Amino acid sequence: MLTKIHHVGVVVKSADEALTFYRDALGLPVTEDRVIDDQGVRGILLKVGGSEIELLEPTRDGTGVARFLETRGEGMHHICFESDDVEAELAEARAKGIQLIDEKPRAGLAGMICFLHPKSNHGVLVEFAQPIKEH
Amino acid sequence: MGIGATHIDHIVIGSNDSAATAKLFSETYGIEIKRVMSRPGTGAHMEFAKLQEVVLEFAGPGTPPEGEEPRARLGGFVFAVEDIDAAVAALRAHGCTVEEPHAAVQPGAKLAGIKDGTHGVPLAIIQYGALPIEETKA
Repeated sequence: MLTKIHHVGVVVKSADEALTFYRDALGLPVTEDRVIDDQGVRGILLKVGGSEIELLEPTRDGTGVARFLETRGEGMHHICFESDDVEAELAEARAKGIQLIDEKPRAGLAGMICFLHPKSNHGVLVEFAQPIKEH
Repeated sequence: MGIGATHIDHIVIGSNDSAATAKLFSETYGIEIKRVMSRPGTGAHMEFAKLQEVVLEFAGPGTPPEGEEPRARLGGFVFAVEDIDAAVAALRAHGCTVEEPHAAVQPGAKLAGIKDGTHGVPLAIIQYGALPIEETKA
């Protein structure tokens, strides 16, 4: 079951420059800041209420985020819904004929994540995330 | 210090056929549409869902273009703040251009758009309970 908006993804040219607005001007606290090598992005999560803003800066050419930046410029990239069982959500989406980007959940900045193709969502890139519970 | 944002108030999904996009998200992802609004005179059609504190707003024209496939895109989001005048002052102190707060469509609320520095994201701030209800736009 999708329980809430986990985050909104925003593609930026420079995460450091974007932080001067999202962290310093808006005053949102950073909860994660890390480079995900296999995806070619630096991702930063900033908390606001029960949701987060995810800043994504491409760290190399040829990735989806780099192509988005090239063709559309900076801006909103995806919306992520939180689930307590991302694998079940993915199976349900598959059964409904939704085109998937990830055939199975993988580790991402927000926990175990998967992306669903914008072609199946009228052009909107959708992500599911299941945060990893801390012990 | 910042703007004192309490949460994301709403996220806009703009669509050339907002009813069709709302229906897709509802049927595919189980997101319950709680309110439907067509604004007379503007030709706008909006449908709203709520996931915990965040409203998902599907917004588009009153009449979808004939013969076109539905096309949607993320259209910006709005932060809720406790004191919109203080938030505007804080943003301006950081060099941002911000509208003067004005009556929003939401009852009793004031809204101000942030006009630059947002890295391509249409952003605004909103304060509920800022105005008597009768001063709210229809």
